[in-house]
This record gives sequence, structure tokens and C-alpha cells, in this order.
Amino acid sequence: MNYEEMKQALIEAAEAAGVREYEIYSEESSAQSVETYLHEISQFSSETGFGICLRCIWNGKPGYAATEVCSKEEAARLVSAAIANAELIESADEVSLHEAGDTYEEKTTQAEETAPTKDLIRLALACQEAAYAADERVADGTQSAVMVTEKTVRIYNSRGLDLKNRISGSAAYVSAIVKQDGSMYDGMEYRFAPIPEISADETAREAVERAVSTIGAGTAATGRYPVVLKDTQMGALLRSFFEVFSAENAQKGLSLLRGREGENIAAECLTLVDDPFYPGYPAQQPFDAEGVATRKKNVIEKGVLRTLLHNRKTAAKAKAASTGNAARAGYAGAVTIAPYSFYIEPGTQTQEELFAKAEGGIYVTQLQGLHAGTNAVTGDFSLECRGFVIEGGRAARPVQSFTIAGNFFELLKKIEAVGNEVKFGVPRGGTRYGAPCVRVSEMAVAGE
Amino acid sequence: MIEIAKELAQEVLDAALASGADFAELYAEDTRQNRISMVDSGIDAVQDQRKAGAGVRILKGTRSVYASTALLTREGLLACAKRVADTLDSVRENDGVRLDERIFGDVHPIRIVPSSVQGARKADLLREACYAAREYHEEISQVQGSILDVDRRILIANSEGLYTTDRQIRTRISVNAVASGGGENQSGYYAPGRRMGLEMFELISPKEVGRKAARQAVTMLHAGYCPAGKMTVAIENGFGGVIFHEACGHSLEASAVSMGQSQFAGKLGQQIANSKLTAIDDGTIPNAWGSMNIDDEGVPAQKKILIENGILKSYMVDRLNGRRMGLPSTGSGRRQDYTFEPTSRMTNTYIANGPDRNEDIIASIEYGLYAKSMGGGSVNPVTGEFNFAVTEGYLIRGGRIAEPVRGASLIGKGSEVLMNIDMIGQNLMTAQGMCGAASGSIPTDVGQPLIRVSSITVGGR
Repeated sequence: MNYEEMKQALIEAAEAAGVREYEIYSEESSAQSVETYLHEISQFSSETGFGICLRCIWNGKPGYAATEVCSKEEAARLVSAAIANAELIESADEVSLHEAGDTYEEKTTQAEETAPTKDLIRLALACQEAAYAADERVADGTQSAVMVTEKTVRIYNSRGLDLKNRISGSAAYVSAIVKQDGSMYDGMEYRFAPIPEISADETAREAVERAVSTIGAGTAATGRYPVVLKDTQMGALLRSFFEVFSAENAQKGLSLLRGREGENIAAECLTLVDDPFYPGYPAQQPFDAEGVATRKKNVIEKGVLRTLLHNRKTAAKAKAASTGNAARAGYAGAVTIAPYSFYIEPGTQTQEELFAKAEGGIYVTQLQGLHAGTNAVTGDFSLECRGFVIEGGRAARPVQSFTIAGNFFELLKKIEAVGNEVKFGVPRGGTRYGAPCVRVSEMAVAGE
Repeated sequence: MIEIAKELAQEVLDAALASGADFAELYAEDTRQNRISMVDSGIDAVQDQRKAGAGVRILKGTRSVYASTALLTREGLLACAKRVADTLDSVRENDGVRLDERIFGDVHPIRIVPSSVQGARKADLLREACYAAREYHEEISQVQGSILDVDRRILIANSEGLYTTDRQIRTRISVNAVASGGGENQSGYYAPGRRMGLEMFELISPKEVGRKAARQAVTMLHAGYCPAGKMTVAIENGFGGVIFHEACGHSLEASAVSMGQSQFAGKLGQQIANSKLTAIDDGTIPNAWGSMNIDDEGVPAQKKILIENGILKSYMVDRLNGRRMGLPSTGSGRRQDYTFEPTSRMTNTYIANGPDRNEDIIASIEYGLYAKSMGGGSVNPVTGEFNFAVTEGYLIRGGRIAEPVRGASLIGKGSEVLMNIDMIGQNLMTAQGMCGAASGSIPTDVGQPLIRVSSITVGGR
């Protein structure tokens, strides 16, 4: 049974059960990845997936049931499961489905065609050879990987909506290990770009340089210092704390930004943007997980909180319009909230200018354990780092095995300067986080 | 139910072997997952998912090819097998696979199968936990909770003739409580689980789960910041075992060791930890969160002594990395679901009871940190640098537990910290977590008795 047949089976089963309001959300995906070890391909994997979720509104309550099995019996089972699940819901929140009629912005970048497997293999091997060639200390254990993914999302509902969007992504990683005097050092670099545009040499060289740069690293001394956070790491912090910008978390009392729209919550140099149509991004999304038209907006503008991110439910509660940020964590997940390309707008400062006013401070190039060392409810974080001591206006001495600790809301206010180039992290679903390097006036460091 | 007859499995394996692989495996899965969530004292979401599909893997020497599909039909499976076979070039005559059904037995009895219970009854258990958290203290401003049950059926067939199935049921309840005051939030979390059905709640009181999360949130709301720098730290039992999981466990997984990506590669038989330390990975403990009858490659679960009195005794080995290392599988091949290729993972991993009395451990510390509750962590197995979060801490002053301090990460290098674990107490207890790595997110237990780490970096402020 294919998607269309399963859709019809679900519609028939829903109508037969007396369900008047329903939505059929599905994701069809495929992914391929190749991994190298030593000088050959060690692993190849290829995945095709399909999942479908029925969401019904039953006596005003939402009920979900999802499956990967397509058959008439399964469609009937899904309808009764969704009804039973709706009957458990106690929340008084008003929930409804989105009616067709939105005008959707045109995508400026289409999803890529999936690259042939041989191109993945060629790039992965080229990365691997380039890594070995980059430095004689590069050791076995060094690995390169290349992957491509694509996903087609479909939303159909009983209020006339029938939408489809295809997104894609492709990336290469080099994880380099170098050995010196019996110790091992590692460095990772990635590129998220169409396969033909990825330079194996550049990616591999940067990974190896990163590993080599940690040789002889000491530990930072415990104290308070100015800190320059590397672009990717500031983006990683945004990823860990994005929920503070979710209206759902705010309404539930899980974000300290509740009711603070219009207030100064960050330094004036900080503008935070959410853009579903970021130029060149092959995962642009004209509609959100409820089918609402999406748009670019400033979440923080020159330090002022302009809006939280809304879906239909939170918008109705706040008597506002949805910002088109409904999202699902996979086809089976409930409708929640997520951004698209969520990034700090670049400023004007070069790396040198950022370093110039951070003499004696620390350039943090890697944060670890973000899933455990951050708490979006409190804003607190305490994170393992790697980086460099800034001396003479440059990243002078490598340091590791130290932590930075603070509070995300305080950090937003302590950002003094913003770099001039945004770098994005690897997307998950259609969401990715980006930032330029930023200088923070002071942070607590624990080390030696 | 997975209905893949032996004959079809044979056909799929033959097709997978067609181009010269020396091993083929079919893994099929049909999993039901149900999660009821509560917030603002009301049930607000029910997630209900059936995940069904299969993965076909072939090995040739130490190379592997994996493909997965959500189509559990004959056509879907054969297409998947062809996809893997087509990636290997040479063509080999294949004698044909002959499968023999094997039944490994089930040491994890389930009395109350969650799918046989009405959602309303599960919701009642969750309500009990969340209300208890809410009522714990007036400063509790929000409580989120969920009750999860997973019913996973797997079928594994391989070209060595194996044809077997297993059914794995687990249940978990979690409460996240928020305390608010003075423009600040603090949170507390507790989430026990078992490889059991709903009879789990005869052992675990939902009310206690709620109170435990709430107590932590309220305590932390009135705590100061944790100091920063190197300190002596006493780490409590239960989730404290995350220190071993991160500082050592991941580095003993064959996936890291076989590629030379582990600080402990080539160290079997050598002393890598304080001689008081014995650590075990045991997938056989009846009804424990990380237990199983067979792993996701069809190998029976084992109890392995990883470190005995400080000496490294065993790695955790899966089939593919075992080939690289010349070692047999230790029943450690695991995966989140059929979309992942299996690799070596932990099960229930813990530091065994040691020689020290718990009261002596606290009394021995003039000034330090008592880490009572822990969150997750991570490690870089190459360098051994690890971190994990303390979510509830107290200062120790003059050998006594003193005022509470807020969370901070503890960081260190595995090879150094294992030597610094210099006192080991006697109240071994395990706690439940989800461990994320190359083959996805899987249930694992961590555990230990109270231990003392003579020196570790505390990421306070």
C-alpha cells in the first residue's frame, strides 16, 4: 500500500468512526552514509523510512496515533487509537486544525537531487587521504564520513489543506586523530553543502589543524575572564537554549522570558533571527507542521525581545497570530515549537577586533556535554571546554579540561561585540542554529 | 507480531550474500511505544507510535554494508537485501543459508503487559506522581511528567544459521519539577524505569518519584552557586555511576577500541584504575533497565567483569568490531531500532561495592563537594576527556555535609580520574538513563556505591 492508498484508508476509517476533524501528517525519508577507516570504505548504510500520523480532534481534544505499517487494518486501528488517546486529554487548551487558504512564500532554494553513491564514496576517500597527507602525525583511527539525507513532508487535513515539501541535506565530516609522544589528540571538522562543493582538502586540513593545535594544551587557571565564543559554539548554546524562546515553554512557566516581549533582554548589539527561507539552504520550509505559512522574523532586535515563537495553540492562548513555528519531533511527535535557520545576525567585528579587547581572556573553540550541562528552565550552564588563551591579540596557547559556567540570560546581556560572519551547525530536521563569534565581557572559568 | 517465516529469512540472507559477503544478518522489529504526558496538572499529550521495519547487514572482512526499510513485505525485504549486495562487487557461489530456530528463553518475566492496560490507569499513576510533586511545597510552580511503555519485538536471522526472536518490554515514569522565586527557576528531575510491565509500580511509588523531583527543585532554589576549581568530591550512589559510564565505559566499547580511538586500547591486563575498583557490565540482571535476553545481533546477554581490582579484564564487544580485534562478541551489540546498524554498547554498568564505610568517606573530607544527584554527561574516548552534570550538590565542611549548592559539571580525564577514585563505599545502587551513541539511544543502567574522588575539576562559578 502506498501513501495515497494509506491516506484514503485513513480518511475512510476516520469518517466511518464519526471523526470530523482530522489531519494526516507523514514523512518519507531516505539517507545514505559512507564511512572510511584506514584507506578504505569501512561502512556503508542506506536507509529508507516512512511514517504516518493521524491527528484527530475528538470532542475538542487532540488525539494522535502513528505507524510505519500501511494497511486497511492498520488504518482502522490508528483511528480507534487516536480517539482513545484524545479521550485521555485533560488540558483545556483550544486546539483546531488549520484551514487552507494561506499564501505560501516561494522557496528560493530547492532541495538537492540525491548525489550518486559513487560520489559519496569518492569524497569520503578523498577526505581520508587528505587527512593522512595533511600531517605526518595523523594516526589510524582517523575517520571521514559523507552523508546525504532527504525528507518529504506531507500534510493533509479535513479543512482543505493538502501540502507537500521536500528538503535535503548533505555533509562531510573528518575526525582526525594525531599521535605525538604516545598521546592522542583529536579534531573534527564538517561541511554542510552540496557534495560537489565540498573541498576534501580544506575540510581534512582544518580537522587535522584543529587536532594538532591541541598538542601541549595546558589548563586554564580558575578565575573570571573575558571570553570569545567561537561561532559554532555560540550556535551550540543557542541550540541548547532555544526553548526559552518557545511560547509553549513560556506559557507553561518553563521559560523566564514569559511576558517579557518588548523588554530589553540582551545587549544592544544582539539581533536574533529566525528564517525559514535562508538563502542557499536546501531545507527551506514554506509551511510549518500545522500547515501555517512561515516567515522570517526578528526574535530579538537590538537587544529587545520582539516575539516568542508560536504555533496555533500558543498563539490562540496569547491572542496573537501563529508565527508559523509549529514543529514535530519526527512524524509521531506531538505538535510543538521549533525554529528554522535560527541565528545571531552578524556584526562588524573581525576576529582580530574581537580578540583585541579580550587580552588575557579565553577563546572557547569547543563546548562538550551540552545536553547535560545546560538547563533551559533555569538558564544555568556549566560546560567542559577546549580553547586558547588570548595573548598579544591572538589565540596564543591551547587550553583544555576547564569549564565555563554562567546563566544564558546573563550571557545575552554580557555580549559586547559580534563577529562579522555566521556559521551554522549541522541541521536536524529542518532546524539549524548559527552565530558569528561573540565576545562576552566576563565568564567564570574553572580549571587548575 | 513479526511474521517473517524461516524460508523468507533464508531467501533474504541468500540474496544479501549474492555478491560475496561472508556474513549476512536480517534484523526485523515491530515496536509499540506509548507515552502519556502531563503538565499544569492535566494530561496534555499522548504519543502512540508503532515502529516496524527491518535492516539487512552484510560483512566482508571488516567492511560492513547496512540497509533498512520500513517495508516488512517479501518485496521490501528482498529489495533491501539487493541494495546491500549490490554495493559489493564480486560475485560468489553461495551454498544457501540453512536456518535453525533457537529459543534463548526469557529471564525478564512481565506480569502486567502495558498494552493490556487502559490508558486511564496509566494516567492515574502519572497523576499520582505529578500531584505529589505539586503538593510538596508552595514554591513548586510547574510539574511536567510522563509515563512511557515500550513493547519491542525483534527477529534476528543470520547466515550462521541463527533464527530467533525476543520480546522486550520496559516502563518508565519521569517527573520534572520547577520551583520558582525571586525571578529565578530551579528544577528537579527523577525518572526511574525497569525492564518490566506496570508491576514496576509495586516497587516504585509514583508519589515518591514526584516528591523526590520536587525536593530537589526546592532545595536548589535556596542554594548558592557551586564553587569553581579542583576539589575532593564524594559522589553518591545511583546515577552517580554516570562517572564510570563516561570516564571509562565508553572507552571500553569495542567501537572505540578496535579503531585505536580509545585511551584504553591495548591495555588488557594492565592496571588502569585504583586497586579498590571493580566494575561490571551485566546485561543479565532480571528486569533491570539495561537488560536483555539476547543482544541486537542475537547473542545471549552476558555478565562481564570489565575491571577487577583496578586491572582491565574485558572490553564490550560486538560482532564487527570483534572481527577487527580478533575477539568474540560479548553480547554487547545494540541499536536503538532497525534504522541503525548495531555496535558495541553498555547494558547495566556499575562499580561494585568496595571496602570503605560510607560515613568514613564523608568524614575524610575536610572541604569538598558532596554530589548527591547527577544528570547526564559525555566523553571523548580518544583523549578520555569527560564531563557530567551534578544537579544537586552540598559542600562538605570539616567532614560533614553542609549547605546545598547549585549544579555544576565535573570534568576530568578518564585515565586520571579512575586512579583518583580512592575510596569506595558499600551502598551500591543503580539508576536509569538513555545512552546516545552511534547506534542511537538505548536504555542503560549506571550505578555505584558512594565513592570519593580525591581530585576533580568542579565547574562552578
